[in-house]
Amino acid sequence: MDIQFFDSISVPVPLNMIYARLGYKKGKTDIGAAMRKRVDAQIDEAMNIIKLRGSAAMIDIKGIDEARTVLENNIELKSVELARMLNGCGELLFMGSTAGREIVDMIRGKSRVNDMACAVVYDAVASEVVDKAIDWISALYNRRLSRENKRLTRRRYSAGYGDFLLDNQKIICETLMMKKLGVGLTQNYMLVPEKSVTAVSGILKA
Amino acid sequence: MNIRKLLDKRLVILDGATGTELQRRGMPKGVCPEVWALQNRDVSHAIHKDYVSSGSDVIYACTFGANRLKLSQYGITDIRKINRDLAKLAKHAAKGKAIVAGDIGPLGKFIEPFGGLGFNEAVDIFKEQARGLLDGGVDILVIETMIDIQEARAALIACKELKDMFVMVSMTFENDGRTINGTGPVTALITLQGLGADAVGCNCSMGPKHMAGIIKNMKPYAAVPLLAKPNAGLPILKGGHAVFDMTAQRFASLGKALVKAGANMIGGCCGTTPAHIEGLKKKVKGQRRPRVEIEGISALSSARDHLILDRKKPLIVVGECINPSGKRALQKELSEQKMSLVRHLASEQKRNGAHLIDVNAGIPGIDESKVMREMISIMAVSVDVPLVIDSSDPKVIEDVLRLYPGRALINSISGEKKKMDRLLSVAKKYGSMFILLPISGTTVPLKLRDRKKAIKKVYLNALRRGFVKKDIIVDCMVLSLASYPSSAKVTMDTIQWCDQTNGFNTILGLSNISFGLPNRPSVNAAFLAMAVSKGLTCVIANPLNDEVMSIKRAADVLLEKDRNAESFISHFRNITVREDKLKGVNIPVETSITRCILEGNKDDVSGFVKEALEQGRPAEVLVSEVMIPAINQVGDLYEKKEYFLPQLIASAETMKCAFKIAEPQLEHKQSEQAKETVVLLATVKGDIHDIGKNIISLMLRNHGFQVIDLGKDVSSEKIIKEVKKHKSPIVGLSSLMTTTMINMKEVIDKAKDEGIDCRFIVGGAVVTELYARSIGAEYASDGVSAVRAVKRMSS
Repeated sequence: MDIQFFDSISVPVPLNMIYARLGYKKGKTDIGAAMRKRVDAQIDEAMNIIKLRGSAAMIDIKGIDEARTVLENNIELKSVELARMLNGCGELLFMGSTAGREIVDMIRGKSRVNDMACAVVYDAVASEVVDKAIDWISALYNRRLSRENKRLTRRRYSAGYGDFLLDNQKIICETLMMKKLGVGLTQNYMLVPEKSVTAVSGILKA
Repeated sequence: MNIRKLLDKRLVILDGATGTELQRRGMPKGVCPEVWALQNRDVSHAIHKDYVSSGSDVIYACTFGANRLKLSQYGITDIRKINRDLAKLAKHAAKGKAIVAGDIGPLGKFIEPFGGLGFNEAVDIFKEQARGLLDGGVDILVIETMIDIQEARAALIACKELKDMFVMVSMTFENDGRTINGTGPVTALITLQGLGADAVGCNCSMGPKHMAGIIKNMKPYAAVPLLAKPNAGLPILKGGHAVFDMTAQRFASLGKALVKAGANMIGGCCGTTPAHIEGLKKKVKGQRRPRVEIEGISALSSARDHLILDRKKPLIVVGECINPSGKRALQKELSEQKMSLVRHLASEQKRNGAHLIDVNAGIPGIDESKVMREMISIMAVSVDVPLVIDSSDPKVIEDVLRLYPGRALINSISGEKKKMDRLLSVAKKYGSMFILLPISGTTVPLKLRDRKKAIKKVYLNALRRGFVKKDIIVDCMVLSLASYPSSAKVTMDTIQWCDQTNGFNTILGLSNISFGLPNRPSVNAAFLAMAVSKGLTCVIANPLNDEVMSIKRAADVLLEKDRNAESFISHFRNITVREDKLKGVNIPVETSITRCILEGNKDDVSGFVKEALEQGRPAEVLVSEVMIPAINQVGDLYEKKEYFLPQLIASAETMKCAFKIAEPQLEHKQSEQAKETVVLLATVKGDIHDIGKNIISLMLRNHGFQVIDLGKDVSSEKIIKEVKKHKSPIVGLSSLMTTTMINMKEVIDKAKDEGIDCRFIVGGAVVTELYARSIGAEYASDGVSAVRAVKRMSS
């Protein structure tokens, strides 16, 4: 199992998605030039503060049954839905990304100094780009796998959704050595800093 | 066979896929393709031979992954040997009937500043492979399937530093037409052809139709032949396997489109076979080869974007703010090798209209090369605009150009012989454009005739080194009017001579003209307008200066460089003249307060509230009849989605500021209901997300409620304890995750068990009204509905 670290993930700013997350509705929401300029500037600031990093690892699947996927290191992932998604896959891909500690500190700082309008923008940016970082990692692996006639499953799963319990976050986080990215876990298996995500995709056999 | 002669004569047919062919002919999964190819020479020999028989003019040696990083995974260390042997194998199969290209593929790691692998380390790895290929007698080199421009640069520099030979580079683009790191085809072309690639193009990831679109985009800017090697369509799933199912016939039928789009060299990538190549060759037979139409191009690039310099287009602004001269804060940061101000200045200049950004780190006592490289690295990742490398030290410029992942502009090259020779050589190697500074000796030429002489001197030297006019921007030199009254006229004449007589791009540093004069902005703005009318292409100025940028925009319209004034109108469209700025208009102060709250203007609201109080307006009236209705109106607009979250929050914060001024004068007459109602807020145990809760806290305080915020990850025991302590009738609970929202039920059940009389309101990303009702709570989806619910619950 080879863990790849990505020290500097570069994604295009998902402006439309950030604005949508902030409640903007095209044709309905009347922003005005000054507000748009301010929000765009805050988005830029957030992108400058964010240090988007990630890691990924391809792992062989030893066996799958109805509710369980067993990996090469005998780790078990218990989830019916995940097993269903991984059916037919010989490997899976763990992915993790983080926007870094600094942006979370800045969000908190802005909230404290009566600038929550800025904090919500920073928050929206960070939330969107960590997802985009996973998209980036997926695209990178799809690119590499295509030359071996393989590709990732179209869906991906994250711990804490459906029956793929949040405590699986520990397995993923440790496998990906996310500590090297400055990411840890709370006692309740939440990633810290909060603007961090993990995901699992299957690798379809060639 | 000579590739250049071939390209001059006709279309060149490249080969098809090697990887999928090896698999098709028996290579098992999981082996090293290069080792297997050597161990099964008959198979690899047959693949090469079949492509030659099918009509390929160029075959690629089977060395795609034969670099140190990839081969180390299989325990192979003699990189030079394996490349040499595979090259020889291809040469033997070709038997002189086809050109053999040494194939260099990606390393699988990202290179600085986009990744952890050092740039020079990457160059060394590519050189190691290329040496082996040259030992094996390859005729040309191909760098292919590059997903990252910096990696392509490292490979190209490695090849060119080893030997002066034909090197072609092909990139791989995603469905959106960009590489995974956001480099577009034209951007890649500008960078790579500038760096000396003899042909540029794309391969893999898409079929012929889609790739023809990419080639078509590149063609108008191509000063070198273009190559295209599409896949046999897109892979589809058949029986759990990914297969390329585009037939040879179908593939060939789309080949004409590639040539029509401008490709001089065509072949195939994944899924293609000798049959595909044979069909392709037949289909394009007789089709005229596209010509390379341009000799050079005035264009600059960053990793993700490019800029074409065109004297007919709007004036280009070079942002000048990243220069420590006279800037204490920047000097301090650079001395400490901190970069946050650099990052901030870069993005602010870009946002305010800079097309290029000048980067200068010239302060004494620092390692200028190290600091500049750090600045470039930061900016390469954080901004898209191309950079101008500004240094008086040729070594610094050289170090930076090596690392910069694009085609940069050197500021500048003068006629001072030693420096000129060194910088022209460096500029040529890294494919940069440069600003020509018309100074020969130590004095600045004051007369036009002396400037012409100095320009010609540098220009002729540049021509001798293979530059063309399009690679050059002439600095028309601005001296201060205070020291040289004819400065403006001489500069205007220089611009006119460069532009109209000689077709040079031109540039000048705007603010020099007014140095030492009062009212500098007016002088600068007038001078700029005059210079643009004479044909100025670029200006080095401060894009944060509204006056300069307004003049630039207006000049673009007047000179018909901004078609239909589109850009001008779009920029100035939403600037409205506020009624209260018009003379003689009297706006009631209550209206001003309302407007401030509606607009989220917390800077001015306190002043208006004070004014109202001084005019004798009762605080109670201001709160209940002006401020609360205003914030309610904001809430309505938010619910109708006519306002979005930042506007809601900005208004709420403005209300908070206004309330702070009015509150001391309220004489305890605020709503009894609000005064008595203590609302406790908490994010439940196990959950660390709190921004939604913080917004609700702000909104409730706006409406006069007393809020006690317990923070996040709060246990049910603590919540119950605090409810008892503060006798809170209302408790708000927040959670973001499905795994933590169950703790909301725990809190509510505990309160019930202990007989506590309070009501709960819950919310969060995954919480629904259904869930809220099921646990005996009210539901609020956002701050506005939370306020409404709390008002209802406390009535």
